[in-house]
Amino acid sequence: MDKIKIALAGNPNVGKSTLFNRWTGMRQHVGNWPGKTVEKKEGSFKYDQYGMEVIDLPGNYSLTAYSVEEVVSRDYIVGEKPDVIVNIIDAANLERNLYLTVQMMELGANLVLALNMNKFAREKGLKINKKQLSELLGVPVIEIEAVDDTGSEKLLQTIVKVSKSPNVVLDRLEYGNEVSEHTKQLEKIIDQDIPQLDAPSSWIALKLMEEDPEIIKKIEETGKGQRVLKEIKKIQRHFNDVFGDDADAAITDARYGFIAGLVSESVKKPKIDKVTRSDLIDRVVTHKYLGIPIFLLIMWLTFQITFTLGDPLGGYVEEAFAWLGETIAASMGEGFLTSFIVDGIIGGVGGVLVFVPLIFILFLILSILEDSGYLARAAFVMDRFMHKLVGLHGKSFIPMILGFGCAVPGIMATRTLENERDRLLTMLIVPFMSCSARLPVYALIVAAFFSAYQGWVIFSLYLLGIVVAIIVAAIFKKTIFKGMSAPFVMELPPYRLPTAKGALIHMWERGALFLKKAGTIILALSVVIWALSSLPVGVEYGSQESVTGQIGTVLSPIFAPLGFGEWQATVAIIYGFLAKEVVVSTFGTLYGIDGDGGGEEASDEEVSANETASVEQVSNEASGEQVSGETAVEEASAEEEETAPEEDPGYIAVMQELFTPLSAYAYMVFVLLYIPCLATLAAIRRETNSWKWPAFAAVYTFVVAYVVSFVVYQGGLIMGFA
Amino acid sequence: MMSLAMATENENLKIVQVWHGGKFQKRLQEMGIYKDSQIKVIKNDIPGPLIVDVKGSRLIIGRGQAQKIMVEGE
Repeated sequence: MDKIKIALAGNPNVGKSTLFNRWTGMRQHVGNWPGKTVEKKEGSFKYDQYGMEVIDLPGNYSLTAYSVEEVVSRDYIVGEKPDVIVNIIDAANLERNLYLTVQMMELGANLVLALNMNKFAREKGLKINKKQLSELLGVPVIEIEAVDDTGSEKLLQTIVKVSKSPNVVLDRLEYGNEVSEHTKQLEKIIDQDIPQLDAPSSWIALKLMEEDPEIIKKIEETGKGQRVLKEIKKIQRHFNDVFGDDADAAITDARYGFIAGLVSESVKKPKIDKVTRSDLIDRVVTHKYLGIPIFLLIMWLTFQITFTLGDPLGGYVEEAFAWLGETIAASMGEGFLTSFIVDGIIGGVGGVLVFVPLIFILFLILSILEDSGYLARAAFVMDRFMHKLVGLHGKSFIPMILGFGCAVPGIMATRTLENERDRLLTMLIVPFMSCSARLPVYALIVAAFFSAYQGWVIFSLYLLGIVVAIIVAAIFKKTIFKGMSAPFVMELPPYRLPTAKGALIHMWERGALFLKKAGTIILALSVVIWALSSLPVGVEYGSQESVTGQIGTVLSPIFAPLGFGEWQATVAIIYGFLAKEVVVSTFGTLYGIDGDGGGEEASDEEVSANETASVEQVSNEASGEQVSGETAVEEASAEEEETAPEEDPGYIAVMQELFTPLSAYAYMVFVLLYIPCLATLAAIRRETNSWKWPAFAAVYTFVVAYVVSFVVYQGGLIMGFA
Repeated sequence: MMSLAMATENENLKIVQVWHGGKFQKRLQEMGIYKDSQIKVIKNDIPGPLIVDVKGSRLIIGRGQAQKIMVEGE
């Protein structure tokens, strides 16, 4: 079988990843903001009798490397020389998109142009004559829609054809006399002195005139570049003398001039620019005064919807696990193995899985926001704010919003920031964004204390995360990251209606990671926590005498000033450092999921716990609390404090026993802010290539969490909250 | 001649000079902002970044950066 190596190239956010997914069936992250694909992705599929190997390159505007992800693309095109490069072009934005096309032509790349987003072009009133464009460029031009199958077959046929008989494009480019003359001159010298270069000498000549540092270095490394470099200096001087500008500017002009010529011959534009729907929406969404309230409203709605829909669904999962635990306990009888399965596995993993519906809904909403193009608006709206307060520009806000899903992709997304200082700083504050793994912790506590105001309480935590991030960033910017922030320019993509399929795929791919985590890391940790809670041999499971209990007891005085000095709360925080969901699974393994344990008693308790919950939801919160409060009191008097898990009437009562509403809030604040989970620290380590920054992040977030929780708790006490 | 940051919304402008250097000037070129190119301010709320139209695409550009781009009416 013949193999064809295809690279997908193009400007950011033109549909490369969408086409890649369509072809390879891989579920790659597709969103509507520039810079999603930060690393190249590879996949393969069969077409006809050919094995197609596809590489999805991160988007770039040019082949002059500017940021990390652009280097990836350029190195690939220059170094790997794919058989065919499919240059995907946003038809609504033809002129700017062709700038990259022209640069790939300079490289002599074997191109196929795929015009995508033709619908938007038509909406703008643009009429593109594909045949004319194709003839002028000497490159096939195919109209596609990456979101459906339009043009897909034709594109594939063309790829096969072009792979056999490559286009010759080098002589198509016309850059005017001034530029052409000098490149020809330079080309000649390059051919004579350094003939063994792996790119066309005309390209090398252009890049040298543009003062591309990497290419200059390469020429210097050959040791034979003296004559070439001398000639360059001469050309530079000439351009400066004659045009008062460097050669670089002249080349840009020449490229755009060539493109303007192409476009005027092949595209019909409307006389007056049409006002697009995107513009109309933006008049409101990016409004000077409405922008930030709209952003806050959208975030608030996100969490409100997440809870309204996710909570009842989570209840079903909870019931299912409770039933499973009881059934297993009933059929196996009491014993070591039963405890392992029911307390360890079902308690730990089940305790986290209960929140799967919640997390999936959150991911779905975030996906819709991302696909629609709103994130770039949020960056715009927040820039005003971030710039003044923090000295970071709005682009840093995109990684932060992604951090609401999970900090790891947020940290990866900092790669789109050009300035290393800004990038580091953003990485350090992304973990303050409340990620989905913290949601279970809030959900657990909110159900016990704040069920009437759950949307508001959770929203306040998300907001607190943002505020703390901004304050911390402002402090860092004035101390360890002094200096100007990188200049800010970013494309504002048009709004796109998210497709149901796209949003669902997106939700699934992120949610699946969460499930995988529950099935692997959380499972393993649950087993470890169960073991630590069972050892040393002979102690009562999950009692204060167990290893878990001892860890908690030793460390709990540290947290007493924050209002949660109980050893269970402490140990949950310690274990939660591994992954924040583990805070919940620790409670799960210690107390079992819902009324666990054996026999009739458990099911009775479950009913009462459920009743308590529904009473709370229906009537006012106070009476609900009283009911369960009584249960807790009764229980406490019946047993020693910190009783064995078998007697506990479910989570809600347990939580109400461990915390007061105030200390519960302080606890959530602490969980929000303290040390990022291991995966996040590992991501910071990977991105900065040193242990220094993750270590720093761990220490300083702990201090911040401690201070803020302390202020919340002690301040709350002074103000008379309990 | 004035800076882009001073321009009124929805006016067709021509770029006269770009007082940026190095990498950022290159980035602006790639995105369509260079001497002699056309530009239109879509949104100019002080303070905060601007939204501009360049060759049919919308770009966000920081206010500080816009101050270094000189334009004139067509």
